[in-house]
Amino acid sequence: MTEAVVEIVGLSKRFGAHVLAVDDLSFSVEPGQVCGLLGPNGAGKTTCLRMLLGLIRPTSGETRLFGTVVTPGTEQLRRVGALIESSAFVPHLSGMRNLRLWWEAGGAKWSAADLDQALAIADLGDAIDRKVKTYSQGMRQRLGLARVLLGKPEILVLDEPTNGLDPGEMREVRQLVRRVAEAGSTVLFSSHVLAEVEQICTHAVVMDKGKLVATGSVEALIGSSGSVYLEVDDVAKARRVLEAMPSVRRVDDEAPGLAVATEGGRRSELVAALVQAGVAVETVTARRRLEEAFLGLVEAF
Amino acid sequence: MLTIAVVRTELVKSLRRMRTYVAYGILMLIPVIMAVAIDLNPPAARGEGRLLYLASQTGLLLPAFALRITSAFLLVIVVALFGGDAIAGEASWGNLRYMLMRPIGRGRLVVAKFAVAVFCAWVAVVLVVLTGLVVGVIFFGASSIGFPLSLVVGGQSTGAILGHLAIATAYVAWSLTGVVAFSFMVSCMTDAPFGAIFAGVGLYFTSLILDSITSLGSIRYVLPTHYFDSWVDLVTRGTWHSDMWRGMALQLGYVLLFALIGLGWFRRKDILS
Repeated sequence: MTEAVVEIVGLSKRFGAHVLAVDDLSFSVEPGQVCGLLGPNGAGKTTCLRMLLGLIRPTSGETRLFGTVVTPGTEQLRRVGALIESSAFVPHLSGMRNLRLWWEAGGAKWSAADLDQALAIADLGDAIDRKVKTYSQGMRQRLGLARVLLGKPEILVLDEPTNGLDPGEMREVRQLVRRVAEAGSTVLFSSHVLAEVEQICTHAVVMDKGKLVATGSVEALIGSSGSVYLEVDDVAKARRVLEAMPSVRRVDDEAPGLAVATEGGRRSELVAALVQAGVAVETVTARRRLEEAFLGLVEAF
Repeated sequence: MLTIAVVRTELVKSLRRMRTYVAYGILMLIPVIMAVAIDLNPPAARGEGRLLYLASQTGLLLPAFALRITSAFLLVIVVALFGGDAIAGEASWGNLRYMLMRPIGRGRLVVAKFAVAVFCAWVAVVLVVLTGLVVGVIFFGASSIGFPLSLVVGGQSTGAILGHLAIATAYVAWSLTGVVAFSFMVSCMTDAPFGAIFAGVGLYFTSLILDSITSLGSIRYVLPTHYFDSWVDLVTRGTWHSDMWRGMALQLGYVLLFALIGLGWFRRKDILS
């Protein structure tokens, strides 16, 4: 049996008497997965990631990296590349000096940092030798991603990594994450851009109000319920047929066709039922995407 | 080895910062201004204090005068700056969380940052003395120890004065370490560096005010600033005051207390910056 890279076990975090940021959360990330951590603002995603990295102490439960319970400064952090919220650096030092100091603070040799790949990611040119306080937010974020990749970590923990980047840079980050995953690294990726998660991630964990809402492969999350757009020759008859089906939650008019919200049903079953009732089906489009699945899950929670 | 790596990292951060050199530059300017002022307007033998008068007679004692003046205010601010900015400054940049994502442990990071803050503070004290010595010798010479001055300074030789000056420098540096430690302790608790810096300065002045209230009796003996100036007789008269031992022991207690509270707090702290 393969050991999970990340294990979150019964994790809770309370701030003061009234704020329960994370509430009995459990999930795991297996080797090679690109796992998206989804949730609305305030869902507890960042708090969860900070506990995973030993920055915040859990009120109860524990986090494990490579099977080892995480404590502040744990040796397992050597195998992790992390970016939490925005990138931050020592402003009066150059980008290069920042990378080097951060790397060497861990007692590692600079020659082992695999700098070339990091510099290629940062793509800062001569600016790498300029003081960080002269950088734009996008440049800082790229430098932050370069820092994440120093030493070829076995897992990347990325919290909203595309914040502050322009569309081209966002695409580069997504491609980067894919490349890293293809090279065998595991990725835990928090984002509020659901389309981004859908494009990149193989698995997803959905959180709301600090609790786990759903977890599984992105395909499974999308496929467990959905929305289908149909164009038929007899809308009224099709509506009657569809509304009688147990797997159909709702049928809405969306001229010239119908939008059908389903729960667990397959598109082929809808089409078969319509054809059997004598309704000609001209167009069938699966409209179910992660965003809809996410909203459905969170609203139902 | 890992601790050395962290100390080196922290040292580079401090020594490559313009703020550090501005602070040192201002401190080094004080003895220069003093020398020029004394040279242009020499003090009367009995009118403006023994140390000021002696400083005008031998350049070897100008650094002692500079040390006395700066340690009453400017040095306090500078050392509080080094202590207070150590952790809270990094937190305010947002970089503290990234340092703590390295496998170095919080205790090791605290030790390294405190060591660098104390080192920078001690360098500040030494720079005041060295600048004072150089400027003093240039303006007032180094060979003027003798009659009638020897009567005033108790017959100290040049070597003795330099030795006493070195001891005084170490004593002042150690005395100010309590201020560094207090600022550092607050720095471990907050993400606002200015709050931590002002806390250190506030501790010093609060202690000074309380120490001036004689009705407090023996309580004054445990105030951090009570023995701050006990070194002056060593330089001016060549006599070792037993209060210096008390001052060093008292500061040791405060340094340990503040540093350990800071360490304990930081180890349990949630890093939210």
